[in-house]
Amino acid sequence: MNKVITINLGGNAYQLEDGGYDLLRNYLDSAAARLQANPDRDEILSDIEAAIAEKFRALLGSHKSVVVAKEVATVLTEMGPIEAEAEASQTGAPKEAAGPGAAGAESASKPRRLYRINEGAMLAGVCNGIAAYFNLDPTLVRLAFVLLTIFWGTGVLVYVIMAIVVPEACSPEEKASASGIPPTAQEFIRRAKAGYYEAVKNFPDPKASREWSRRFRREWRAYACQWRHHWRDKWTGPAPVYDPRLGYWLPVLSLLVGIATVGWICASISLLATGTVCGQTLPDNVPVWLAALLLFITYGILVGPLKVARHLCYKSWGQPGPIWPVVLLLEALVWLLIVAVLLGLGFHYFPALREAIHVLPAMAHQAFEDIRSWWKG
Amino acid sequence: MNVNEKFSAIRKGLLEFLVLQIIAAEKVYVADILKQLSATQFATQEGTLYPLLSKMRREELLDYEWKESEAGPPRKYYKLTAKGREQLRETLEYWNEINETVKKLGQP
Repeated sequence: MNKVITINLGGNAYQLEDGGYDLLRNYLDSAAARLQANPDRDEILSDIEAAIAEKFRALLGSHKSVVVAKEVATVLTEMGPIEAEAEASQTGAPKEAAGPGAAGAESASKPRRLYRINEGAMLAGVCNGIAAYFNLDPTLVRLAFVLLTIFWGTGVLVYVIMAIVVPEACSPEEKASASGIPPTAQEFIRRAKAGYYEAVKNFPDPKASREWSRRFRREWRAYACQWRHHWRDKWTGPAPVYDPRLGYWLPVLSLLVGIATVGWICASISLLATGTVCGQTLPDNVPVWLAALLLFITYGILVGPLKVARHLCYKSWGQPGPIWPVVLLLEALVWLLIVAVLLGLGFHYFPALREAIHVLPAMAHQAFEDIRSWWKG
Repeated sequence: MNVNEKFSAIRKGLLEFLVLQIIAAEKVYVADILKQLSATQFATQEGTLYPLLSKMRREELLDYEWKESEAGPPRKYYKLTAKGREQLRETLEYWNEINETVKKLGQP
């Protein structure tokens, strides 16, 4: 009796005998090593995986659900060793062989630039562009913006400013330099994702699919449990005890932070638009960006202690007094006020934001319809 | 060293030409290409073909599209670009010239 390992190959689950798994792992690892210098490495690897998956599928039937080690070995022999391109081009004209390689290196070393990316964007593509620039998941960046908005109220404004200042990536070259990936590879990633999700949708074997999701849930639960334990230990350490009355200052502090933020934003806008701060013209030898940076640092110095104080107020949360609900209500009102002021500022200064709000319902409707037709079709 | 071994480098170089010819006839996916080659002296394997196809695509000789298959996930179907067809035409011409040369040389 042999252990069985479930693997994901080209978006489908396969069960392999233990020994077969090792063979496959070795094959794919050595393939990856051989293709190290190949610019299309990931694409070739995913093609290879898909081809192996297809051969496995041909071996399996309703009465057979596990690929045994010997079959894996046969399939891998059929596939043959991965030929690195250098070997293949040695026989060809050396000058020609150097051409595409050099071009690939050139596009790979192209400097990245920050662009807005409209494909797959929620609003103006700012988060998408940042994510591509830093090679992150766009959802994480969006989450960061939302958190920034909730806790400091600045996310919306930063977004609006970036939506206006950062250029949009229109040509393929611009899109490429937004992420530093050559356009062909980007296209591949898009296609591969589309193919992958289709494959998940048409998951052929309901039993395997159930097993797959059960395993996923189990792992996720274990992970979440571990995470909670870890953080509970951190949070419930011996915390200093604060006077609960400290908490009453929370709305006041929030109001101060809000006023400072709005002041900073107004000053920044006036600096960028007219080159003056509070009616003061900049000295000739101070560039605008430096002034903006100084403004930001000043804002940070002003707001930093206020934020620390707010943090202490939250810490006294441990002993809820009778007035806490009122305090929290006030706090929420203060933040609503700040957000309203920020939005008002945005509306006043940026016609693009007004337009964006107008087209938002239509966009949401369109997205909903697209998802529905995709799911049905 | 027998003839078969002596020609292995030449076969390797010609593979790209043959792949162009196969794809020129109709849209195919990798298993089709392998099947057509398997009956010839140019029989090859996925391990060789995938890197070759990706290189040819990078040189813009061919392109692919995803197509649904009856069983399993979608497949990549390859087709020639205009540049690929031009390359094929040139190569065919050159190949004929080589053939002529081989036939003519050494003849009285």
